[in-house]
Amino acid sequence: MRFTLNIWRQKGPNEAGRFVRYEASDVSPGMSFLEMLDAVNQKLLVAGEEPVAFEQDCREGICGSCSLVIDGIPHGPDRGITTCQLYMRRFPDGASITIEPWRARAFPIIKDLVVDRSALDRVMQAGGYISVNTGGAVDGNVLLIGKDRAETSMDAASCIGCGACVAACKNASAMLFVAAKVSHLALLPQGEPERTRRVSAMIEAMDREGFGSCGNQYECEAVCPKSISVRFIATLNREYLRAGIVESALSSESESPHAESV
Amino acid sequence: MTRLFSHFQSSVGTKVILALTGVGLVIYVIFHMLGNLQVFEGPHALNSYAAFLRDMPILLWTARIGLLGIAVVHVVLAIHLSLNNRRARPIAYVIHGYRRASIASRTMAASGIVLLLFIVFHLLHLTAGIIGPASAGLIDAEGHRDVYGTLIHAFQNPLMVVVYLAGQVGLAFHLSHAVSSSVQTLGFEHAALDRLFKAAGPSVALLVVLGNVAIILAIFLGIVR
Ligand code: HEM
Ligand code: FES
Repeated sequence: MRFTLNIWRQKGPNEAGRFVRYEASDVSPGMSFLEMLDAVNQKLLVAGEEPVAFEQDCREGICGSCSLVIDGIPHGPDRGITTCQLYMRRFPDGASITIEPWRARAFPIIKDLVVDRSALDRVMQAGGYISVNTGGAVDGNVLLIGKDRAETSMDAASCIGCGACVAACKNASAMLFVAAKVSHLALLPQGEPERTRRVSAMIEAMDREGFGSCGNQYECEAVCPKSISVRFIATLNREYLRAGIVESALSSESESPHAESV
Repeated sequence: MTRLFSHFQSSVGTKVILALTGVGLVIYVIFHMLGNLQVFEGPHALNSYAAFLRDMPILLWTARIGLLGIAVVHVVLAIHLSLNNRRARPIAYVIHGYRRASIASRTMAASGIVLLLFIVFHLLHLTAGIIGPASAGLIDAEGHRDVYGTLIHAFQNPLMVVVYLAGQVGLAFHLSHAVSSSVQTLGFEHAALDRLFKAAGPSVALLVVLGNVAIILAIFLGIVR
């Protein structure tokens, strides 16, 4: 197979970028999208040109680093997968494919298709720790958690932090990411002690990083490689409202010894 | 309280206030439509309904000022959010495909602006009587303001019909996303109810707009005279 690629090239964070055309020939239908780019880069190297920088690591859909917007859709045309799991047989032979980086103020471009997603890490950091006793492992089944609740929490926890939700959202909002992270702990007893503090701090951090607000268009769910449900966004909104009420009640009687540290 | 207040300054808090003010306006729009349907019961019903509302000046003005306040907050926050959202993606994609977003959800700002223009026009026209009908000062046989006569007069004019129908198109689009969206923003979700929530927007939009359009067209086509 052969393809015409239209790739965003940008030398560095403060350089102007532009689209450059590349021909990818001798592509096998079984190649993943990243392998196809590897082949293009190989030729560029041989020709003495600068290869296209793109981020990748596990190549099995679990690390979330392969962040490419392919023909306007983060992780490409298939649902529920990352770019590294997208195969070239998915495209018609001879197709012209446009490849752009994640675009958001909170994700500055480092080089070509590589963006800095550490804003998501800082939101996680703001969420902070959960209180657990250290020492020997806890006996199994000491903490009983209903099957439904455990499953729902696991669904939220499957977020790999790739940032496709931000890339797809017209407002570059990180709500689905934050919703997944807040929900998976809010649903479990382990997350209970810091429940209010966590959601307030994470929303505050999210705003600080310059993400937009949620317009409830649900483009995020459609591109999420883990198909995380937007119902978690409602959960996040609810948790945040609850936190506002609980914290304002607590701060008015802050001498209470059992008050959550705020 | 200061905590709660600071919560409402965040993006999520702002959306919550946008949704609450929006829902307030939605409830008003529903009752406004139902009240006006009395045009089908004849001049007596509508005029005495209008007189009934105007007979309670304190209530009337509280409601008017409250509604105006809600609408102003809604519009100001909507503009604030939209500007913020625009800043969140300084460089646009050259290709941008939507996979799921409804047309209504993509045109909230546009339908909102249509609504704003329409509401201003509507208030100047039928509430204040500054635009249009010379019949605004008419009194009916029972000594009430002749709202019925004013309406009949207004909607015999094709231009007015076009303006009002355009306003209804804006309303249909805005509501069909807004109602479902506000449910989500206010934090409601349930596996069994999600389809209901999703259908709520288009259903409310359809009912309200059908009611309003029925009034306009019935008068224009001479069914109600
Ligand atoms: C007067 C001019 C108006 C403007 C400029 C306006 C603008 C907007 C905008 C931009 C949004 C935000 C959508 C988003 O975040 O994606 C919105 C949401 C909303 N609007 Fe309006 N609007 C107006 C009037 C109205 C009216 C008359 C109603 C009710 C009949 C209404 C009900 C709502 C509701 C319920 C929401 C949903 C909030 C949410 O997304 O959670 N709006 N409006
Ligand atoms: S490279 Fe790890 S998810 Fe694609």
